[in-house]
Amino acid sequence: MFRYIVRRLLQMILTFFGATFVVFALMFANQDDPIQALAGEKPVSDNVRAVLTERYHLDESFPVQYWYYMKGLLTGDLGRSMAGRDIGEMLSGAWPVTLKLSALAIVVAALIAITAGVWSAIRRGGFFDNSTLLMTLLLLAVPIVVLAPVAQLVFAMELRWFPATTTARAGLYDLLLPAVVLACSVMATQLRVTRTSVVENLRADYVRTARAKGLTPRRVTWVHVLRNSLIPVITLIGVDLGMLMSGAIIVEEVFNIPGVGFNLARGIRAEDGPLVVGFVSVLVVVFLVVNLVVDLLYAALDPRIRYE
Amino acid sequence: MTDIKGQVDALPGTDPRAPLLQINDLHVEFHTRDGVAKAVNGASFWLNPGETLAILGESGCGKSVTAQAIMGILETPPAHITQGEVRYRGVDLLKLPEAQRRKVRANRIAMIFQDALSALNPVYSVGFQLAELFRVHRGMSRGDARKRAVELLDQVRIPGAKSRVHDYPHQFSGGMRQRVMIAMALALDPEVLIADEPTTALDVTVQAQIMGLLAELRRERNMGLVLITHDMGVVADVADRISVMYAGRVVEEAPVYDIYARPGHPYTRALLESIPRLDLKGQQLSVIQGLPPALTDIPAGCAFHPRCRYAKDPCRQDPAPPAYSIAPHRTARCHFFREVLGE
Repeated sequence: MFRYIVRRLLQMILTFFGATFVVFALMFANQDDPIQALAGEKPVSDNVRAVLTERYHLDESFPVQYWYYMKGLLTGDLGRSMAGRDIGEMLSGAWPVTLKLSALAIVVAALIAITAGVWSAIRRGGFFDNSTLLMTLLLLAVPIVVLAPVAQLVFAMELRWFPATTTARAGLYDLLLPAVVLACSVMATQLRVTRTSVVENLRADYVRTARAKGLTPRRVTWVHVLRNSLIPVITLIGVDLGMLMSGAIIVEEVFNIPGVGFNLARGIRAEDGPLVVGFVSVLVVVFLVVNLVVDLLYAALDPRIRYE
Repeated sequence: MTDIKGQVDALPGTDPRAPLLQINDLHVEFHTRDGVAKAVNGASFWLNPGETLAILGESGCGKSVTAQAIMGILETPPAHITQGEVRYRGVDLLKLPEAQRRKVRANRIAMIFQDALSALNPVYSVGFQLAELFRVHRGMSRGDARKRAVELLDQVRIPGAKSRVHDYPHQFSGGMRQRVMIAMALALDPEVLIADEPTTALDVTVQAQIMGLLAELRRERNMGLVLITHDMGVVADVADRISVMYAGRVVEEAPVYDIYARPGHPYTRALLESIPRLDLKGQQLSVIQGLPPALTDIPAGCAFHPRCRYAKDPCRQDPAPPAYSIAPHRTARCHFFREVLGE
């Protein structure tokens, strides 16, 4: 188990460098004139241009730029954005609200997907099963770019059930609408996978044994079948985290939530290389760590899985 | 702690003189896309306390379905019990509401299955799966239930029960796993134990141990044991009586000694002749020609007639042969049982 974790951590370091390198290269290739992009329509004086070029090593070759960046990163210095703000500080300001938002989205998605998935598996072919099938198809068909503004218009502006925008200090209720929108992007597949997995497990021999033990159908389903069915669902939730991150960029932009995605969207638009690479690096780490945790969770769910 | 046994005894219709278990004319159908499969077509047998009844037949003859119908764990749909009675001490279980039926399971009638590895839940420890019975049916605390689980593992002679209670099914050997299954079935002191091919998945030496254990526990507890098997060798040592099933019907019922000495139904006779015997070494082993009928298309008259060397015209016509009483405590559903016996 210990050796497994060490091996995975070593793999993570490789993945991390690979991923940051790709992001860095993409931003480098995308850069046209970042100094002009920063200034907008206004002209930039040669003096300012020289200072900024010097500070961000803009006249250096790609490997040298990457070298400078990595040196900073490994010493814990994420550098400064083109606008001159400390990226480390920006991140620590942006993370809490994004964390709250995505955690809420994961919980909402998993709760609804697993409950509805189990229900439609038990009553397969019934009314509930068919209507959830329809709902999931609908959810899969509507992209989050459409869903987010529509939800904002209907539930926040028209019905006024939720606030339309939030601040960095948003409470859970303020974040509920964007979290539900975010959850919708992953809920449909999670529901289908839960349903399939439960249907499969309901046919297993141990279910017959559980019934022969005189257990109630409820106990058979929620104690015996569910835990066996959850393994593929947990995998999916780990992978879905990537979906949630990209979804967060849109949702935070639409609902004006000053989180990681919001900053990232701004950075991309402003061609702010250091900012984008810094934020993405952290997202990569989060994604890797969560997937390691998911793999370790398997062993907790299924005792047959042991890591050597 | 609620007295569940008391509740079952208090059921109207409980008759102390009735057999422990009595199955009358049981019919089970499966509604499938290919039509209606008649898995059980009028199975009847009875069982007394302390007695071992073997139900013998090829795969697909309806023995497992009968067992599951007795337990009430058939999946409906596709399975439907269309006719018949399952009487436990005179009470027809098929007429009981599901909540009461549930209390009969494991408390009064318990069952063990063929493949213990798939029949046990892979993600819970055997201790949890045993203790669950006491917690759900007896309202015991976690700790007390765990203690009882250890005692049970001890009773089925699992060495080191105290530490093994924490293990998971995949950590046991095949024989030990089947012992866990037996412990689970015996947990609530049932009066009837149905064992569905309990040793088929095990190798021969372990088979003998498990059969020995079952026979011993049956004696200790004066339980009625229904032993479902396709293996005539297993049956001979432990069974008191045998019911031979073919195409969902009991074709012959007899005390075990009689049936081995003089089978009364051509099918039983053919089964006995297909057992490899040392004294016939070197000779061709006889097999039963043809295949058991598809359950969606059971032949008219006697279902065995297409494979039967005694078959004559009456066998091919409905109604099927009745259960002829061919000797005291013996029945056979064959018009020509005298010929079969006489040879």
